Amino acid sequence: MPASVIHVDGFTKRYGRRLAADGLALDVQRGEIYGLVGADGAGKSSLMKAIAGVLSFDAGTLEVFGIRVDSERSAEQVKQRIGFLPQGLGLNLYPDLSIDENVDFFGRLRGVPDTELAGRKRLLLEMTRLDAFRQRPMRQLSGGMKQKLGLVCTLIHEPELVILDEPTTGVDPVSRRDFWAILGRLLEEKGITALVSTAYLDEADRFHRVSLFHEGRVMGQGTPAELVARVPGTLALFRAEPQAEALPVLKAAFPQTEAMGAWLRVFADGLDPVQARQALGACLAGVPGKAVRLSDWFAREPELEDVFVAMLRQRGARLDTTLEAAATTRPPDTGLAIEARALTRVFGDFRAADAVSFQVPQGEIFGLLGANGAGKTTVIKMLTGILKPSSGEGRVAGAEMRSAGSAIKERIGYMSQAFSLYHDLSVVENIRLYAGIYGLDDRRARQRSDWVIGMAGLAGYENDAAGRLPMGLRQRLALGCALVHEPRVLFLDEPTSGVDPIGRRVFWDILFHLSRREGVAILVTTHYMSEAEHCDHLALMFAGRVVADASPEAMKQQLAASIGQLLELQVDHPAQALAALHTAGFAHVALHGRAVHVLSPDAGADLRRLPALLSGAGVTVLAAGLRPLSMEDVFVQRITALEDAARRPS
Amino acid sequence: MNRQRIVALAWKEWREIIRDRLFFALAFVVPTMLMLLFGYGLTLDVENLPFAVVDYDRSAASRDYAYRFISSRYFAFQGYADDERAVDGLLAGNQVRMVLVIPPRFDERLTRGEAAPVQVLIDGTFPERTQTSMGYVAAINSAVSLDRMAQALSRVRGIPLAEARGRVQPVRLEVRYLYNQSVQSIWSLAPKLIMLIMMLSPPFLTAVGVVREKESGSIFNIYSSTVSPGEFLLGKLAPYVAISIANAMFLWLLATTLFGAPFKGDPLFFAFATVLYVICTTGIGLVISMLVQTQVAAMIVASIVSIIPAVLYSGVLLPLPSLSPAASVLAHALPPMYYTNIVVGCFLKAVSWHALWLEVVVLAAYAVGLFGLGYLLFTKRPAS
Repeated sequence: MPASVIHVDGFTKRYGRRLAADGLALDVQRGEIYGLVGADGAGKSSLMKAIAGVLSFDAGTLEVFGIRVDSERSAEQVKQRIGFLPQGLGLNLYPDLSIDENVDFFGRLRGVPDTELAGRKRLLLEMTRLDAFRQRPMRQLSGGMKQKLGLVCTLIHEPELVILDEPTTGVDPVSRRDFWAILGRLLEEKGITALVSTAYLDEADRFHRVSLFHEGRVMGQGTPAELVARVPGTLALFRAEPQAEALPVLKAAFPQTEAMGAWLRVFADGLDPVQARQALGACLAGVPGKAVRLSDWFAREPELEDVFVAMLRQRGARLDTTLEAAATTRPPDTGLAIEARALTRVFGDFRAADAVSFQVPQGEIFGLLGANGAGKTTVIKMLTGILKPSSGEGRVAGAEMRSAGSAIKERIGYMSQAFSLYHDLSVVENIRLYAGIYGLDDRRARQRSDWVIGMAGLAGYENDAAGRLPMGLRQRLALGCALVHEPRVLFLDEPTSGVDPIGRRVFWDILFHLSRREGVAILVTTHYMSEAEHCDHLALMFAGRVVADASPEAMKQQLAASIGQLLELQVDHPAQALAALHTAGFAHVALHGRAVHVLSPDAGADLRRLPALLSGAGVTVLAAGLRPLSMEDVFVQRITALEDAARRPS
Repeated sequence: MNRQRIVALAWKEWREIIRDRLFFALAFVVPTMLMLLFGYGLTLDVENLPFAVVDYDRSAASRDYAYRFISSRYFAFQGYADDERAVDGLLAGNQVRMVLVIPPRFDERLTRGEAAPVQVLIDGTFPERTQTSMGYVAAINSAVSLDRMAQALSRVRGIPLAEARGRVQPVRLEVRYLYNQSVQSIWSLAPKLIMLIMMLSPPFLTAVGVVREKESGSIFNIYSSTVSPGEFLLGKLAPYVAISIANAMFLWLLATTLFGAPFKGDPLFFAFATVLYVICTTGIGLVISMLVQTQVAAMIVASIVSIIPAVLYSGVLLPLPSLSPAASVLAHALPPMYYTNIVVGCFLKAVSWHALWLEVVVLAAYAVGLFGLGYLLFTKRPAS
């Protein structure tokens, strides 16, 4: 019996002329949770389908449980031992069947005897806390519940290997965390091997080992820590005033420079913290004009995303955009771009938005966060004049939304998750179409079209069909189309779903430029918590209400003050450590691969006492340290607290 | 073949069809609706054709002549008009389809034994109807002429009118309509509608039902399990075949009761042939579903592949012998024609195995061929 459950070598897959996977190699050991991390179209799905025996491929060898999978017949031999969850939230389930009927169908399809089916179903539904909804049709489940039901259906025949294709895409952070906890427990209990893909780089630390995918190739493999160690360097977080002057100079010297609200985030490759501080200081001293003041310096280990971007850069990927430095600077508007005053929208007896108030000044990037169904889309629809509010008022770009709905539509730009491009039209045709819709005359249309092509880096692609562009370019084209009439306010609904890290960075650079240099106010909704950190200001929605309204930094500080700081413990038996910490009274404990995350009210004391406490439970702490809180931590804590409060009988 | 898996697949499919509003309508409402709409709407009989008369003569003979048309059940008299200009508007506005213009001195000419012309203006926009109504006009006109000849003969020769009639028309037609004694088109149409609707509904339902799984991704549940292609096709398609058989039986009931078509054949033979036909048309849906990837494509292909043969090459509108040679080859290559022979035979001619065995064999071959093709095209490890 070979030790590896999956062995892949030279795996190559073509769809027509497009090369989806180019010579991939992979080894997954028994009992491992192995992650495939990468953007849409990186080749993850093709590889997973081939391993599950549901897709043929063009070249390479693929062995599962030591059996070579190269034909429909050989694939059949391993299928009973595999559970496969295809991509798309709940899409492989049957919407008209209830939870019970879905599980029963999967059980019978997989030949589970009726005598065992009932018991297994009860256990799995209990663990996923779905047992209270057994009669509910699948179409009425929330995203998180669909995801858990998908997992139950995949596990019902007790496979030895599960292949889960992007199980967490499109699910809010709370449900995502819940999912990882349940998955970790199930896999540990049954000794199941798992191959899981994700488009979220910040989820990589949930896995024992990962492969980083980019455009059909593997960029790196190993434990998350090994990968981070592969590109030495320092991640620096600091403020520099004035930021707009400092940014271009820093970017020229350190390509991996990002603006996060008032903060700057720089990955200095190859430098230790001291060297990084010196190099950055020297660089800022070279800013022309008035002196730049650097403050609030933090230096730490880079995150996987920084490392991934660095790896891609080493292979020739470029982060720079072709935005003119200050040529188009306008006199900054000082007024409010968006003002919502007690906006309420009632559907029947359901309050989709309940007295929502917030303000967005010109030149600010404002993030609207919340789980699916929290009311984000309802608010955006009201502000863009698509939906009439039941009560409340708002001003957008200087127009009253109650009386001037059409004026609002002319003054704003809107870009949806689906990118709303015409795939069969060329790049230029798409831009011209939007210019026509907004009534630009010929000369302006040509001017703006040139601007969009320059801004989005589409030079050379002008006559390509929009549908054939890579995701990142397509996204920037959609942004350009939303900006063709030079709106003062821009609405972005989940704008970066499925785009690779380079594309995401360039996109945020452009947004930052628009807000700072051109004074455009930008309202963004996003599921990526790492992106929420780019915003100047955030509003967190829950059950139709705004429950928090502050800068990302303020929200994190508030969490640290009220609940505690984040400790990361590297341990040899994570599941036992988790249980021991729960019994020791820690309420916020989460499993991340082989590490455990704990929120601690007294970090210093806990760091000292925890190794002893855990060794009492037979767990050895290999390493322990503080980790910076992320927006995801904030989101999860806030929402869980609100959910608990809502569940408690009043 | 694992019975548990087949039952699980069929049971799941059945519940989805019952609970999904669109599928429920497609499965249980659309066939009946089509039967009612076609049955009442697609009558080929030309009756109650609206017409007007311009009578410049205003004599007893001209009124008598016009009355022959007015009293016919094929024409619906709309009134007298003063002159031709007045009827122009009526024809253009579709208020009348035919106008009789009786010239001055009609009575006088006839009395003198001269030929008297009568002008007929007919709406030619719908050639079928025009031909048929022209036939009625000619028949009524020749009846009038014969009558006048017989009257003249009887006056001149002094023989009884009945004898005179025999003399002017020495050869008389004795027509007996077989199978459809009152020549009502609905008698032949209603059975053919069963053929038509059973050619449209099962392929549509099946193709969309299978492709829906491809489009949503739930087909991966099948691909990634150890279900064999045979088990899948059997379990997946059994509900569609069952529903279509039930529909066919219900349509038979509508044809015989609501539309009053006679059923003279062997019910068992008819039931057997119908099941075979439904399996055959379900197989068309299966093959379509293997070749397309989206529900929209499935709908478009299913409509083209089913409507055209069912309407044009089945004998429902045009009799098969009148098709061009190429069309005739096509008609023989497609299943609807064979089932048309079976329904017409069973409803109107009371024939069974001895006359229709070849049709049954062809349908069986089709069913086997289509399912075989579907089975071969189905792969659990596709290339994309």
